[in-house]
This record gives sequence, structure tokens and C-alpha cells, in this order.
Amino acid sequence: MKKHSLPATMVTIVLFILATAYLYPLFLVVINSFKTFSEITSNVLALPKRLVWENFQNAFKIMNYPRYFLNTLLATTVGVCGVVLVSSLAGYKLSRTKTRYSFIMFMILIAPMMIPFHSFMISLVKVAKQLHLIGSPLGLGVLYWGLGSSLALFMYHGAVKSVPQELDDCALIDGASPLRAFFQIIFPLLQPVTVSVVVINTMWMWNDFLLPLLVLSGSKKSLTLQLAAYNFFGLYKVEWNFAMAGVLLTILPAILFYLSLQRYIIKGMVAGAVKT
Amino acid sequence: MTQLRRKQLNRGLVFLLFTLPAFAAILVSVEIPFLMSVVSSFTKWNGLDKAQTFIGLENYKELFLDDQDMWKAFGFTLRLTLGSVIAVNLCALLLAVILDSDIKGKNVLRAAFYVPNIISLIIIGYIWRFIFSAGFDSFYQKTGWEIFMLSWLGDVNIVYFSVLLVSLWHSLGFYLVVYIAGLQTVPRDLIEASMIDGANRTKRFFRITLPLIMPSITVCVFHSLSNGLKAFDVIFSLTNGGPGNTTTTIALDIYRTAFVINRFGYGTAKSVVLFLMILILSILQVRVFKRREVEV
Repeated sequence: MKKHSLPATMVTIVLFILATAYLYPLFLVVINSFKTFSEITSNVLALPKRLVWENFQNAFKIMNYPRYFLNTLLATTVGVCGVVLVSSLAGYKLSRTKTRYSFIMFMILIAPMMIPFHSFMISLVKVAKQLHLIGSPLGLGVLYWGLGSSLALFMYHGAVKSVPQELDDCALIDGASPLRAFFQIIFPLLQPVTVSVVVINTMWMWNDFLLPLLVLSGSKKSLTLQLAAYNFFGLYKVEWNFAMAGVLLTILPAILFYLSLQRYIIKGMVAGAVKT
Repeated sequence: MTQLRRKQLNRGLVFLLFTLPAFAAILVSVEIPFLMSVVSSFTKWNGLDKAQTFIGLENYKELFLDDQDMWKAFGFTLRLTLGSVIAVNLCALLLAVILDSDIKGKNVLRAAFYVPNIISLIIIGYIWRFIFSAGFDSFYQKTGWEIFMLSWLGDVNIVYFSVLLVSLWHSLGFYLVVYIAGLQTVPRDLIEASMIDGANRTKRFFRITLPLIMPSITVCVFHSLSNGLKAFDVIFSLTNGGPGNTTTTIALDIYRTAFVINRFGYGTAKSVVLFLMILILSILQVRVFKRREVEV
């Protein structure tokens, strides 16, 4: 082990100062969400004189937080589970089948990685309307299946190559059905990819704004947290104390998710980025 | 013979059983809507009526010949993309190189810089609206620096940098971790060999490290390019396209054309153009960058 030299220590100190400054805006959000309105107008940088929990009570109630939290959770869960299921099945089979049709199918299924969401969102709303997937978190979750599966399928397709074909053959000879062989033998071995897929899709679906705006904003009961936050800010353009309490409540689930699974999240995001 | 055929049939059925769910999902959510958009781009359609009137290339004609707003959005999107591709990649690479060296607490630092990336862009926009207004007022009172008195979201000449700054703040952590992962694949013995050969730090970086992490650069530039061209959320909450129309991006313009002024047919024509633009620029970028990648 090398000894840390003086310049290295200096660099470390500078970096920690830089990181602190980098996160300072978030610190300001936190302290100001606990202040009264007049405290904010007099000085944003000062610490709150006492903790004004009423800001959170207000935001919690007006945002209708529990309901929209559950909506977001439902849409994300349905979306992530569906993506994992359909893309692992297809990625595995397409990787194992080496025929021309399989290759064509693979190309059709990964082509959407090159199609930006904004270039088909208008017609997507129309399709969703016809399939009655509009106006409910469940429908939103189902719409995510197709939107998230191309990348996930591509990642599974690559990972299956490192799982020996003999494992499938053994299971099939032992009399397992193809589905059972997949779920009991292959799928557990693909766990690292599954973690990446879950992380990438959870972060995206939880934080997504445009698709929920397009398919949910018509029905008050089925909004997601991001939409509720958007409406909430429309109400409090000036009352920063309420607005910042709303911000904090909205980002809290993602922050907690990140703090508890930080290593997996960073690894998963990197894996997803590099695969494309 | 029949047994063989049955086996083939069986294999085909299993293949379908595994692939059809994904095929159906992707068809419904992406490919059918995309094809419908291409068709709609040749029609006049207000989104409410069932009827879509075929009008040939009229939409494209209007788009290319007399849509000032669209071209303004086009120009702003390109400028924003160029700025953010350069800024985010330079900053992230520089920071990654420093964090990859022998310093204490690098995992904590990496995790800290990543935090803004887990917050939705909609919220990021609102946080910075607060910082730019109330926050900067207090900064000014404390420091007296003129820079905090500028109208960061109201001045046409400054707002570009505000958007750039906020996008950079949000996405830096993501590119940082990708670059750090890339730097960790550079073989230690190559670095050591170059040190023995007497290469200094700068030379080592440009001659050894940089060529070897070219794949990471390709990936990061690809992502920052397409994210820049698709920018929507952060603009929507931070400036909502203003002041005037100066920060309207193509994606926001498409959204407004369809869902605010109900010109769905025209909106789909714009979205086809966006698709082609992203496709062409991405392919060009990946081609150019791939050529510079080397094998260890």
C-alpha cells in the first residue's frame, strides 16, 4: 500500500469541498422545507429557527401523497415485473435459437432502442386509448412493458451466452418442461442482469413524467407522484416553504432507494449504459 | 418423418411461447405507434375526430418552409446538445481521472456526485427555479456579487447557460460512473510500463489511457447526444420554453403542437423529423468514434 502524499491529501480535501458545494442546493431544499415563508424571504441560507412540520402536513395533504405514492408504486411494480418476465424469456430463447427467423425476430425486438419516445408518443396515446390502458396506473405499467423490454432483452440476450447450453439440455432430459427449465435453472443464473434491469427500469419508471402526463393527467385519482408534484407546484409558485416540502416528499422514496441499494444501482446503471 | 415434423412443430411452439409476449408488448407500445405516426405525418388530424385527411407532403412542406418556431426550437436543441455533450463529457472525464487515482474516500465522493441523477428531471427543474430566484437573492445579499443578481431564467442571453448548468448538475454523476468503470479496465501493467519508459502524467493520459477508454467515450457521447436532442422534462419545469420561445426544444415543440394546439398530424410530421435527426446523428457519431477505438 502506498502512503498518501501531501498533494493527494490536498486533492482529496478539494474534492470533498467540491462535492459539498455540489450537493448544497439539495441541502438548501431540506432546510427551507422546514422554515416559515417569512424566514425564506428574509434569508434562504440560514438554518430554520424551529422545524415547521406544518409544511409537510400541508404538502402531504394537498398532494394527496399516500394515494399517488401507491399509484406510482403500482405502475412501477407492474412495469418492472413485466419487463423482467417478457424480456428474460425472449432474450434467452433468441440467444439459444440460432436460425434466420430467430435473428430477424431479435432485430425486430431490439430496433426500438433506436426510436426515441418523442417520435411516437402522439400515436401511442391513441393506441393506449383504444386498448383502454389510459387513466389507470395499471394501464401505465402495462405500457411500460414494451417501452422497457428492448434494452432489457438485449442485456439478457448477451448474458445467456455465458450460461452453458448443457444446463438446459440436462434439465430437459430430466423431463422438465422448457418453461420450468428456464425458471428453475437458467433464470437464477442471470441474476446480475436481472438486478441491472430492475434498477434501470425502477429509476426510469418511478421518475418518468411525460408518459404519465399523456395517459393519466385526465383522471385525478390515478396520478403518479411526479404528476402530483407538477400540479402542486402550479399551486405554490411563490410559497417556497410548501413547494420545498413537496419536493422533499417527492424525492424521498428515490433517495432512500438509492441509499439502501447504492452499490447495485451504480453498477446496474453502468451495465445498462455500456450495453447499448 | 412425422415424428421429426412433430418435433419441429413443438420447437416452433416453444419458440413462440418464449418470444411472443415481448413481441406483442413491443409491437403495441413502440412499433405500431411509430408506424402510425409515420402514416399520420401525411395527414391532417386534430386528434379528436376519427377522420384523418390525407394531405400528402403538406405537413413537411410547412415544417421546412414556414415554421419559424420549429426552426428556432431546432437551433436551440442543437446548441443545447452541443454544449451539454462537451461540458458533461469533459467534466465527467476530468473528475473520473482524479477519482480513479489514489485518494481516500473515492467511493463516498462518487456516490455523492451521483445523487442528483436519481432525482426526476421535473423536480430538478423546480429545485433550480428556487435556487435561481430565492437562493440567488440570498447569495447576493451575502456576497454582493453581481452574478447572483442576473435574471438567470428571464434573460434571453443567460437562460441557455442556466439550462446547461442544470442539465450538467443532473447528469454529471451518471457519466462519471461510466467513465470510472472504463478507467478501471485500463490494465495496470501498461501504465507501469509507460512510467518506466519515462512518460509523464500528461503523456500517459493522452497516449495510453485515453485511447484505451475510447469505448466509454463512445458510449457517453452517444448517451449525452441523444439525451440532449430529446430534452423535455427539465425544460418543461425549469423554463417551460421561455422567456418567449427561446428555450423551446424540439420535443417540447412536438408536445405543444399535438397536445396543446391539437394539430396531431403536424405533430407526427415533426416527430418523424426528430427520429431521423437522432438516428442520423447517432450513427455518424458512433461511426466516427468507433474508428478510434483500439484493442488492448
